[in-house]
Amino acid sequence: MTSLFQLWRITCYEWFTAMRSRRAVVVVLLFMAASVCTMNFCINALQKMEQELTKVLELPETEQVGVVSKTLWQSKPFRRMMRHIVYNKDVYNDLVGRHPVELMYAWLVFFYTPLLVVLVSANRIADELGSGACRYVAFRCSRSLWSAGKYFGQAAIIAVALMLSGIGAWVMASIRMHEAGWPLLIAITGWSMRSLIYALPFLGLSLGLSHLTRSGSKATIFAIMTLALCFLIEALAVVFRNANDWKALFSYAGVFTPAAHKFFLWRSTPLSLAVGTLWMITLSLCYLIPGHLIFKKRDM
Amino acid sequence: MKAALITNSIVKRYGSKTALNGMTASIPSSSITGLIGANGAGKTTWMMAVAGFLRIQSGSVNLLGGGPFNPALHRGRISILPQDSELPCESYPLETLIHYGRLQGLSKHEADHSARNVLTAVHLADRMNTPIRTLSHGMRKRVMIAQCFIGKPELIMLDEPLSGLDPREVANMRNFISAKSPGQTIVISSHNLYDLELLCDYIVFVKKGRTTRTATIEELTGKTAMLVYNLTHTPLSTADLSELLPECTLTLSDTHSQLSCSFDKTRVSAEQINATLIPALLKSTGIISIERGRSLEERVLNEL
Repeated sequence: MTSLFQLWRITCYEWFTAMRSRRAVVVVLLFMAASVCTMNFCINALQKMEQELTKVLELPETEQVGVVSKTLWQSKPFRRMMRHIVYNKDVYNDLVGRHPVELMYAWLVFFYTPLLVVLVSANRIADELGSGACRYVAFRCSRSLWSAGKYFGQAAIIAVALMLSGIGAWVMASIRMHEAGWPLLIAITGWSMRSLIYALPFLGLSLGLSHLTRSGSKATIFAIMTLALCFLIEALAVVFRNANDWKALFSYAGVFTPAAHKFFLWRSTPLSLAVGTLWMITLSLCYLIPGHLIFKKRDM
Repeated sequence: MKAALITNSIVKRYGSKTALNGMTASIPSSSITGLIGANGAGKTTWMMAVAGFLRIQSGSVNLLGGGPFNPALHRGRISILPQDSELPCESYPLETLIHYGRLQGLSKHEADHSARNVLTAVHLADRMNTPIRTLSHGMRKRVMIAQCFIGKPELIMLDEPLSGLDPREVANMRNFISAKSPGQTIVISSHNLYDLELLCDYIVFVKKGRTTRTATIEELTGKTAMLVYNLTHTPLSTADLSELLPECTLTLSDTHSQLSCSFDKTRVSAEQINATLIPALLKSTGIISIERGRSLEERVLNEL
């Protein structure tokens, strides 16, 4: 009980202090702005596509963005075609059951989340190790609780950033499109939550690396480099997925990257979401724990 | 004499450099003990090792009778002012101290009460809710000292607590530290020997990662068992004076400018010695001043 209370205290304190740091505020606001701008860009692209489609099909013109897409999306021939393309009934239902804007937001939020996590969290532990601020806590609780509190505090900040980006994207969609009501906001919030789960491995990675240095800048650079390495492994895993020689190692290595399991989070079934969540938490711990174990043994 | 902290032959190496070379020390319970040593002698390393910040290669630490530092066992019972460690700059003094108090196991009310009390005691009542990053160096130092005293821990280790403070605050901090609760043990590492002399009951001398001597401040300065007479430079014989005070030991400096009189305070008082010695001295020389014992600085310069 004491440990749980201490964990809660450290988490809350981390959240409060980190939310006051200029870096976190700037990155969260930039993430929100990026989400709004990307949503606007996607809606512009959708509008252009619809205009061309209207011209080609000689349909009556409309000012409202998304009407043509939605009509097309819900038309029987289109759905029949999708069913033939996708084959898998569950995947088909997942795709056609969603609003196009929802899918746009899902794509952008999954795309930006790793960078958000690295920029917000990578320096947190390293900075405190460098300034010595962690020493004031170290004789009041265990190092493990301190690290865990940092982890949950940072997860809370990422959650705030994702929720704000979702609201921003929804506001933009509401301004630009019709039918962007409460159901869309709920759907977008759902995607924010899924991307929070997707953020956990990157959070584990950032904080795991942050344990290894006393310089926040170095920790951020390490995290960005490791993130790039992750994406490289993912890409190589896809390229060599059918290889039978040594290159097959890339496909095995790909299993240890979050991208290999993120499609579980794109599905709607509870089982799929549960599996995806489990994978993300496991990967997060795999990335975090080695860094923490080194930190536990080293001088503070 | 019960010890609050015992370290036995602790060794700490940084690569090929040995910071603590088998340091053994015993800190008496309920005392204020000063650590004295040259730069790099190992004082800070010793404190950090005791607090569990550093991993020692060998030796043992017994903290409040509970073995080496264990957060589950020592939480709220020890505190430390680490050297060169900044507080979280985005936070506020009161909020931070309440947070630390809560981590130590204090209730919300106790933590709030204790945090306000210590911040008021270090003259920061008007800065409780000011961001730490906007405070001056001295103010931050006072917050750092204040955090050590939340919840009345049994053992407090202060590494250079008075450096960077203005004279008024140094005096206030001395009063604050010396007004410790009964049963509290304080260890202070400092190069300011005047402050240590005023504050401490015991002094531990540290040299090259080892303890060279532990003594009471009384043993070192002789405040209650020695009188020092600063005289005008006149040739003087101590033989005649010794006849007047057979129970005292008189020592004259080479330049005949200082006469030390060591005595057993159970047999003779300072007043009795002065009554006898001053008229005798005035017959043959002049007295510039009279001091009780030697300053710690004088002793330390001889010791190190």
